Amino acid sequence: MYLVADISVEICAAKNCKLCTQYCPEANTILYSDEMGKDKGFKYGSAYVAVDRCKGCAQCVWVCDNMAKNNAIKMIMIDQLPKAALTDNITYGEKSTTAVLASPVVG
Amino acid sequence: MSLDYVKFTPGFEKFMPKEYRDMVDHGPFGKKVTVSQMGSFKEVLEEHPMCAGCAMTLFIRLAMIAFPNPEDTITVGTAGCGRLAISQAAVPFVYGNYGDQNGVASGLSRGLRLRFGDKPKDVVVMAGDGGTADIGFQQVVHSWFRHERFTTIMLDNEVYGNTGGQESGMTNRGAVLKMAPLGKKFDKMDMVSLAKLAGCAYVATVVPNNPRRVESVIKKAVLIAREVGSTYIQAYTSCNIEYAIPTDKVMEDAKTVENDRYAFSEYVSDEAKEYLAERYGYKEYLPKPAAAAAALPGKA
Repeated sequence: MYLVADISVEICAAKNCKLCTQYCPEANTILYSDEMGKDKGFKYGSAYVAVDRCKGCAQCVWVCDNMAKNNAIKMIMIDQLPKAALTDNITYGEKSTTAVLASPVVG
Repeated sequence: MSLDYVKFTPGFEKFMPKEYRDMVDHGPFGKKVTVSQMGSFKEVLEEHPMCAGCAMTLFIRLAMIAFPNPEDTITVGTAGCGRLAISQAAVPFVYGNYGDQNGVASGLSRGLRLRFGDKPKDVVVMAGDGGTADIGFQQVVHSWFRHERFTTIMLDNEVYGNTGGQESGMTNRGAVLKMAPLGKKFDKMDMVSLAKLAGCAYVATVVPNNPRRVESVIKKAVLIAREVGSTYIQAYTSCNIEYAIPTDKVMEDAKTVENDRYAFSEYVSDEAKEYLAERYGYKEYLPKPAAAAAALPGKA
């Protein structure tokens, strides 16, 4: 098993800083969804991680803790995530993306 | 070399991989995208074998977003880590043999001008410090002296990271590396001064811990290279493997190095300032009202 980044929607959707999307070294990995936060009643959308692309470097954790000071991202063993975003289930829209969350571990 | 190459061949759309379909429908081609929109559009860079947490990868990702017209851009690279990511993007990539990337780019840039006339086709060289300052040094400096109109970007990780950690011309004096156990005995090469001396129209040093600045610097360099002359960007992109930087501290290291020896600097020639202001509406380079008045005859 290996670590991947996990973003707390509750914290992220209250802040809307989007810094992690700009500092992740991997392309198309930390994405932004308006629905993810607003559907839960928050003011903004939330960032989320396409876990099949995450290499577990934790750079986003440093950026969220030290630059944004939001502490919204934690590294979690992939089998500890009940549901997560995977590239195949992500749809791009005009200004946001939508992800259907699924179990990240097969079998 | 146009928007046509990012279209589906009729009848084949349903057979294309999801990543390709996303890129055609929601990629940056033909649109203006910025770093503040990152995470909401499909990027041209795809999965690549670069190490986890590599600052060079982040810089390349930002560069791909900053290209003013990705559909009219060709990247040129050479041996080194960077090409592992640069070649995994939906932007045509030419692999120069080690050291000759600026020679290849010179011919490419001239050929594109002959073929397409005034229609801008951008050539961007992205190579490491070894490819630019050591092995490719002669071709790099000669292309600058000839004022070849393309952009050269040095991905400066201050080491030969791909081959086990030998010192390069851009390694700092005293740095001890796996394959340089006694420490480097010479100073880091001052490529920025060399670029200015050779007549580059735009020279900048940048660290990727400020994405908006990286975007701005690359946009300016590519635009200036369309008509004015050679442009050069030197970017600090640490090697977290050879310098043993924990991956979650890569941005902290970038900040420390920026404060220590890699402060942001930007040189824009007068001709380039005038070009950016007149052609692309850069307000910061418009003549100041007072200066303009002073330049009028009889008021000096």
